[in-house]
Amino acid sequence: MQTKLPEAHIEVDGLELFYGSVPAVRGVSFNVLPGEQLTLLGPSGCGKTTTLRAIAGLEQPAAGEIRIDGVPVYSSARKINVPAEKRGLSMVFQSYAIWPHMTVFDNVAYGLRVRRVAAAEIAEKVGQALDMVQMRDFAGRRASQLSGGQQQRVALARAFVFQPTVLLFDEPLSNLDAKLRADMRIELRDLQNRLGITSLYVTHDLEEALAMSDRIVVMRDGLVEQNGTPDEIYSLPRSAFVADFIGSANLIRGRHRPDLAIDDLIALETSDGQVIYGMSYGRPVGSELVVSVRTVHLQISLQRPADKKNVWPARVEKTVFQGDFSQIHIAWGYQHLVARCAAIEPIAPGHEVYMTIEPRRVVLLGAGNS
Amino acid sequence: MEWYARPVIPAATKFVGSPISAQKLAGYGVAAVAAVLVLYPVFFLLQASLDVGDPLARPPTAYGLDNFSGLFQFPQILLNTLTVSLAAAVMALVFGFVMAWILTRTNVPGRRMFEQLMVVPYYLTPLLGALAWSLLGSPESGFINQVWRALGGQSYLININTPYGIAWVMALFEGSVAFVMIAAVMKSMDPSLEEASQVMGASRLRTMLHITLPLVIPGVLGAAIFVFAEMLGSFAVALVLGLPNRYYVVTTAIYQLVQQYPPKIQVAAAMGVSLFAVMFVMLFLYRRIVMAGSYVTITGKAFRPRVVDVGFLRYSLLGVCVLYLFAAVLMPLTTLLYASVQKIAVAFPTAENLTLANFRMAMSMDAVRSALGNSLLLGFGTATIGVVLMGLLAWLIYRSRLPGSGLIEYIVMFPQSVPRLVFAFGMMWAWVVFPIPIYGTLWLLLIAYLTVFLPLGVRTIAGVMLQIDKSLEECAQMCGASWAFRMRTVTVPLLMPGLVAAWLLLFISSIRELGASILLMGPHSKVITPSIVESWFGTSSELTATLALIQTLVVAIAMVVLVAVTRRVAAQQVD
Repeated sequence: MQTKLPEAHIEVDGLELFYGSVPAVRGVSFNVLPGEQLTLLGPSGCGKTTTLRAIAGLEQPAAGEIRIDGVPVYSSARKINVPAEKRGLSMVFQSYAIWPHMTVFDNVAYGLRVRRVAAAEIAEKVGQALDMVQMRDFAGRRASQLSGGQQQRVALARAFVFQPTVLLFDEPLSNLDAKLRADMRIELRDLQNRLGITSLYVTHDLEEALAMSDRIVVMRDGLVEQNGTPDEIYSLPRSAFVADFIGSANLIRGRHRPDLAIDDLIALETSDGQVIYGMSYGRPVGSELVVSVRTVHLQISLQRPADKKNVWPARVEKTVFQGDFSQIHIAWGYQHLVARCAAIEPIAPGHEVYMTIEPRRVVLLGAGNS
Repeated sequence: MEWYARPVIPAATKFVGSPISAQKLAGYGVAAVAAVLVLYPVFFLLQASLDVGDPLARPPTAYGLDNFSGLFQFPQILLNTLTVSLAAAVMALVFGFVMAWILTRTNVPGRRMFEQLMVVPYYLTPLLGALAWSLLGSPESGFINQVWRALGGQSYLININTPYGIAWVMALFEGSVAFVMIAAVMKSMDPSLEEASQVMGASRLRTMLHITLPLVIPGVLGAAIFVFAEMLGSFAVALVLGLPNRYYVVTTAIYQLVQQYPPKIQVAAAMGVSLFAVMFVMLFLYRRIVMAGSYVTITGKAFRPRVVDVGFLRYSLLGVCVLYLFAAVLMPLTTLLYASVQKIAVAFPTAENLTLANFRMAMSMDAVRSALGNSLLLGFGTATIGVVLMGLLAWLIYRSRLPGSGLIEYIVMFPQSVPRLVFAFGMMWAWVVFPIPIYGTLWLLLIAYLTVFLPLGVRTIAGVMLQIDKSLEECAQMCGASWAFRMRTVTVPLLMPGLVAAWLLLFISSIRELGASILLMGPHSKVITPSIVESWFGTSSELTATLALIQTLVVAIAMVVLVAVTRRVAAQQVD
């Protein structure tokens, strides 16, 4: 939370967009604060890229309003649609869109030439920008002579060299291999911090979103599912969809038992009579509840832990070794749960173990999940 | 970062929604030009076909359908047209299918080279083929028949001036088109579909009958309809080989009705509209079949088809390829060359009959020189203006997303389904009454060429345009470049190979255009291809052969440049 509430840099209000008669975005609203890095996260087809392209001015929305620095660049009510080239934004494309008929220098200089900057200044700024992405030595190369990672850096330098107020990123890392992606993620975040530029980032990659964002907007079927900091999104998913999409989670359903409540914990009774304590985090508590428990928060032990709530005996069904962790499938009453444990001795199927969940990790989901 | 200072005023505040942009102006400008080019003559063609009043009065004094019902007085023409078109289409498809199968599915030696040679007949033009085959196969003086009689044969061996002779020559050249279409279908079939069948234990024959054939049938059927429609509208061969015996098909009949004195404009118009309607329906069917029935082409991906090892049979198949190219390319060209260096074209060479006088004469005749000069001038003009116009149209239709671009695509592709002769007839009738007197000048020919080549140019450029990643243009836009700046710095440079190819294709097409030119050229605006036809009927066949060779040479030079350019582009895309 900021101490002083700054005015939003980008405001999206009730945005709707159709491809033919198919709705791609069905009323999306969110703000991006100045200097903030906000990520639109969701599975493919959720409307995140379409939303980004609508903000860029590359797609024509059907309804709603988009304001940049308080000035509407699109408004269905006021019939405003500022063309993309006049919105003062910049963008990094998924395909990098490096022009193959130009050198690296010419690619980066493009935005400055559009703005009729003097040649000497262009040379200086392009040089600085290429330095920032460690590509100065490649200035004379053609795009066809660059690797994917190098093209990515050039695309980045080209996007920020002319000092746009906002940078838009359309899945910029999705075409890189896993190792390079992890490096670029850190580099990109660094660069963003140094420039202090407002960024709107689109990805379907959870790790990328968590690592790079100040705030995440999770989208699904053209609607906003949840809007919050990476920690909020991860720890307190609002819906079953978010819980499942952001990392893996166990969903447990049951009846609310206010009579069993202890302190500020809520109690939930499953259909086979188990009672779980969890937290509501200020969300309304109905009579039928759904709680979410992350697979990493489900602890497995061979001895019964003392002095703890939410401890049950359970039976191991199978163990899948996955390198950094093992995935343990557990039968718990009629339910099947999944736990991810780091560095654990292999446990044979059929083995009786104890399962513990801290009550604060048992997160009540919002309404509309039944 | 000091140098990175945030601008005080965001760019967006300065401009809010400009209603008329250069983009819209250029887009709707070219759309309007295309619409006038296409629709203006079509309107006059329709008007003439419905005009039942005084043939000399314009605008018409009475309207009706009498011209159409009057067409039933010409059953012979209908029968001739169907006979020739059906025979030609069947033969062309057989040529195309056999050659496509040999060159894509068997291990015949030299497949690659033959595949490239297969487009040569298309560029040689049916007119050239008709002239050459007339020299070879006319019953009296045809070289083949001269040889036949010298060997002791009676009267003649072949007669090219018959319906099947006409169909034979048409099919030789249309076979090249059928080949390209059918080969594309065969190439776009995923070989794993056949492999899957064989892995599951099906024999080769069973795989062929149950997998291969059903997969290629929609494509072949589409090609059949397309080829038949083309044959209905073809003109040059029927003119050269049919006119001496007064054997008319619908296109030559229209030509005759317009050229005779007094002309029968209204009947010709009705005939043209009917032909157009039939072709339109067929091409509509063709598009439906290609879009709906062909599961093969859905991915649009080219596969490397499985090649069947045909053993020793491959040398016989090689013979088939050689034979086809011999009949369609080598024999016609040699015949014309041979005739052009003789005083009187005969089958057996003698020293005193050899001469270069035909070439000297051709180059010294004012009529020929001005016709050739006009053709080159028109070629340059059509290609240069055409590339700009058709490039903008391709961009407008496939990239701009301006409203109404679908309708414009329809208008632009319209000349495809109208035989050029019929279209030219509409233009003749339309531009005669145009306030600016361009009738009988080269300007009218320029307008005609730009109109009839709209589909060709737009499709060529669009083919390259659609391969350019859209984000390359969008990125320029996000860098703040205006439409004109983006066009100049990104779109046009990336499109250059397509534009050059389109320029050369338009140039070549203009030089060899016959159907539109023959009706529209005036006494002071002669062009080369109709002059060749005039020479054939008016002067000697030796001089005509010379003219045809000169024209072929011009086209060949342009072709060589075209191939060199496409090669270089292909090489660039590799690295």
